[in-house]
Amino acid sequence: MAWEVALYNLFSVLIYPGVVFLVALALIYQWVDRRFFAKLQNRYGPNYTGPIGILQPLADLMKLLAKEDIEPSAVDKHLFRAVPILILTLPLAALFMVPITESSALVSFEGDLIFIIFIMTLVAILAFLGGWGSTNMFSTLGGMRAALQTLGYEVPMAVSFIGPAILAGSLSISKIVEWQASQGFWTILLNPLGFGIVIVAFLAELERIPFDIPEAETEIVAGWQTEFSGRKLALIRLAFDLELVLASGLAAALFLGGPTGPIPSIPGVVWFIIKTLVIVLIIAYLRALFARFRIDQMVSGSWRYLVPLSILQIVILELLLGWR
Amino acid sequence: MWRELFTSLPFIIIVSLATALLLYWYGGRISPKGEKTPGKLSQYACGEELPAEKLQVNVERFFIYAVYFMVFDILAFMLATSLGSPGFVPALYATITLLAVILLLPILRIRMG
Repeated sequence: MAWEVALYNLFSVLIYPGVVFLVALALIYQWVDRRFFAKLQNRYGPNYTGPIGILQPLADLMKLLAKEDIEPSAVDKHLFRAVPILILTLPLAALFMVPITESSALVSFEGDLIFIIFIMTLVAILAFLGGWGSTNMFSTLGGMRAALQTLGYEVPMAVSFIGPAILAGSLSISKIVEWQASQGFWTILLNPLGFGIVIVAFLAELERIPFDIPEAETEIVAGWQTEFSGRKLALIRLAFDLELVLASGLAAALFLGGPTGPIPSIPGVVWFIIKTLVIVLIIAYLRALFARFRIDQMVSGSWRYLVPLSILQIVILELLLGWR
Repeated sequence: MWRELFTSLPFIIIVSLATALLLYWYGGRISPKGEKTPGKLSQYACGEELPAEKLQVNVERFFIYAVYFMVFDILAFMLATSLGSPGFVPALYATITLLAVILLLPILRIRMG
C-alpha cells in the first residue's frame, strides 16, 4: 500500500501534474499568447506547424536545441553555463507549490508563498548575472536594467500577495485555496486592487511589453540574452514560458480560487486551465495595448503609484475585516 | 518514508535541476560542433569592435546597507518568528550576524577610510 502511494507520488512529480505536464502547458500557453497577440495586431500568428500552429513552440524549442552553441571567448565560463540551467530549474521547482489538480499542491508548507517570492527574485538576479557574465556591453546594460526593474515590481507584488494571506490567515498557497473553497467566494472580491497590481507586477516580472526593458529588441539587441545561443537560449526561453504558467497559476490560486469551482463534478485541472487562460489572455491583451516604458519611468512610476495603492489595499482590507 | 520523500522540497528541486541538465545534455548531443573562428568567438556588437570587459561594480560602499538589512530585517525576522521555539537555529543566525559585524566592519572602515 505504501509502495503504491509512493509510486503515485513519483508519477505526480514526474508526469502529471509534474514536469511533462508543466512543460507541455508552458508550450501551449506560449502558443495561446502568440495567437491572441497576433489576432489583436490583425495577423495570424503561428499557423503552419501542427493543426492550428499548436506545435510551433515545440518546434522552436527543438530548433534552438539543435543549433550550435557558440560561447564567446571573453565570457565568464561558469556563470555563462550555469545561468540557463538555473533559470530553468527555479520556475519549474516553484510550480510544484502551486495547486493545479486539487486544492492542495504537491509540495506545500507554511510559508511557501514567501518561498515563491524568493524564487522570483532569484530569477531576476540570475538575469543580471547572465548579462554581467556575458561581458558584452549590451548584455551588461540589459542585466542592469533587469535588476533595476526588480526593484520596481518586487515590493508592490509582495505586498499584494499578503492580501489573500491575511484573509485566509495563512502563508501557504494551498491553505489559501482551501480557504476560498470552504468560504465559497474568491479573494478578488475583497482584493480587486491587489489583483490589478499583481497583474501589472507580473507583466514586469515576465519582461513583457510595456516592461520588456531588459530585452528591448530595438534598443539593446536582445538585452541580457544577447550572447546566449543554441541550447542555452532554448533553456532561457522555456524558463520564461514556465514563468508565464507560474505567474498565471499563482494569480489564479491566490485571487481566483485556484483549481476549485462551483460545479464539483468537473475536475480541478479544468478550472485551473480556464482561470489561467483568462489571465494569459489579459496579459497578452495588455501587451498589445502599450508601448515600452523607460526604465526610470518604470521604477519611479512603480514606487509612486503601485506601492501606495498596494498599501492602500491592505489598509482597506484590514478595516473591512475589523469592521466585520 | 518514501511517500513523503517524493513530495518533499529537496526532491523536487533535484527533479527540476535534473530536467534542466537533461535538456542541456540533449541539446549538446544533437547540436553540431562548429569550428571556432575569431569572428564567432568575439562578442556581438553589431559589427563594431568593443573591448570585452566585465563591469567593475564597486560593492564596498553598499556593504554597510547590507549589514543594516541583515540586522534589522533578517535577524529581527528570525528572532520574531522563533519566539515560540528558541534554540540552536536562532542562536546560529545571531552568531553569524555577530561575527559578520565584529570581523568585517573594522576591515571595511580601514579599506575605505
